[in-house]
Amino acid sequence: MSRYIINRILSIVFTFFFISILVFILMHAIPGGPFDPVDMPLSDSAKAKILKQYGLDQPLYVQYFKYMWGVLQLDFGIPYQSPGETVLELIGRAWIPSLILGGSGVLIGAPIGIALGLIAAIKRNSFIDYFTSAISTLGLTVPVFVISMLLILVFSVWLEWLPASGWGEPKKWILPITAYAAIPMATYARYTRSAILDTLNKPFVTVLRAKGLSERKILFRHVIKNSAIPLVTVFLPMFIGTATGSIFVEAMFRVPGLGAYFVSSIENKDYPLEMSLLLMITVMFCFAYFIADLIYALLNPRIRLGNKKKQ
Amino acid sequence: MENQYKIRSPFFYAIMRLMSNRAALVSGVLLSLIMLMAIFAPLITKTSYEEQKFLMTSLAFPSQTHWFGVDDLGRDLFSRIVYGARVSLTIGFAAAICSVFIGLPLGALSGFYGGKVDWVIMRIIEVFSVVPPLIAALLLAALVDGGFFSIIFIAGIFGWVQVCLLVRAQVMAFKEKEFIRSSLALGASPMYVIFVHLIPNSISPIIVGFVQAIPLAMMLEAGLSFLGVGIQPPLPSWGQMINIGISFMFFYWHMALFPTLALAITVLVTTLFGDGLRDALDPTLKGKG
Repeated sequence: MSRYIINRILSIVFTFFFISILVFILMHAIPGGPFDPVDMPLSDSAKAKILKQYGLDQPLYVQYFKYMWGVLQLDFGIPYQSPGETVLELIGRAWIPSLILGGSGVLIGAPIGIALGLIAAIKRNSFIDYFTSAISTLGLTVPVFVISMLLILVFSVWLEWLPASGWGEPKKWILPITAYAAIPMATYARYTRSAILDTLNKPFVTVLRAKGLSERKILFRHVIKNSAIPLVTVFLPMFIGTATGSIFVEAMFRVPGLGAYFVSSIENKDYPLEMSLLLMITVMFCFAYFIADLIYALLNPRIRLGNKKKQ
Repeated sequence: MENQYKIRSPFFYAIMRLMSNRAALVSGVLLSLIMLMAIFAPLITKTSYEEQKFLMTSLAFPSQTHWFGVDDLGRDLFSRIVYGARVSLTIGFAAAICSVFIGLPLGALSGFYGGKVDWVIMRIIEVFSVVPPLIAALLLAALVDGGFFSIIFIAGIFGWVQVCLLVRAQVMAFKEKEFIRSSLALGASPMYVIFVHLIPNSISPIIVGFVQAIPLAMMLEAGLSFLGVGIQPPLPSWGQMINIGISFMFFYWHMALFPTLALAITVLVTTLFGDGLRDALDPTLKGKG
């Protein structure tokens, strides 16, 4: 087990540096620079001074190593878009609305999804089952900005019940969170349904039935517990996944969150911010999968991670 | 009496299974209709997608002359939606072909050779699985400046992983079968075995991977165009039209509604058809993935 953990962490470190190099090369390969005359009409000497101040006059590999050395000390640099703060401060500030959005989306969507999936699995081929598959298919296939647009059209344009954009007062949170919750809800509805059906078909359930246990007891005491494992493991990656989903939801509802910075940092060639955002997301995904695998192994003794390699 | 036990090919049974899946059947019919609309776009639309013929009635609501209304620049919205189907489907199919071209050889190699080759390919896939496609696509799109062909290329780069994994699993399962081992024992080269035996036997996962790559590519294109880095105007893309629609939605809802519905329906039917095809070609995969 400990060997497995060490291997995984090494692989994460490898992925981290690989992606950092890749992103760095790609980022600088995009034509133009952050202080081009289009955005900032500057004299040549002023421009040279700014480039020097940000270290952009040095060779690329020097810039890369300097930046990564800083990153290892948790210094992510200063965003060119708002030089008054560090990248960490900017991300910390902009992340709050995104976290509220993503967090409540997942916390609201997941339980509803689990409940729907559960009912759908128990009452197979009933109306609820078809309804659940329809909802989960919609949520999983249709892009989130399409869902947002339909929500806006129905609830703000035609019914005029809720504001379509902005942030601040909680009333404005309802639509974006609903749009956001669609993905976890759909994911969980589908996973729960198939996990429960899977368990219901296992021989031990037949044995329990033969012993005369009531369906209710079988379901709540045995089936749910045994179906929970796959559900626990999808949670973390899905939660991190909301970070990219936020780009669209925030763009649709004009929420001042982190999402807009993904686009603007690339458009404005804001190298430190661009690098930091990408590295952050990558590392979070790596660890989310890693932790999910560990939890899976802890919950399910039949799986021994360390032996995977020896197969 | 002799026809009582007619021998049918697996393909026949796959078709039968597909026909008995109502959702897949309906989606297949709708998808074919959308494809026909895209192919015969010039025949069913009044104007081309860029002609500003109706400037006098800009932003007109849907009517008998303009089924989906007129947009802000005096273009017939129905024509633009239909031509948008062309863009979306072309990108979907072309990107899926790209995905198969990258994923098939890599999957076959990694499944056949295993060991180090497999390790390297799996590490590459791992990198692709932790980088959110959308963000990487944003970077790449900025690099190559959007445009039709770069979107296909970008979608292909992110679509191959699924094809690769499907083919790899199939090749691994077939590698140990008797006919492969005897073929190798008779002196066939690994390349011969891969191309003559293993790839033809992977045809159903390839078809499944291909069909499942289409909606992913369409969504990526719509997403990039929505964010303004995808298909550039005047070429119509549903994602781009939705983005424009946001600014008009409170007064001219048709600008937002029709591209949204077009995208939603197309992605939905393509996915459902792909799922149906997967279940039909390989019933053991049902509900997975």
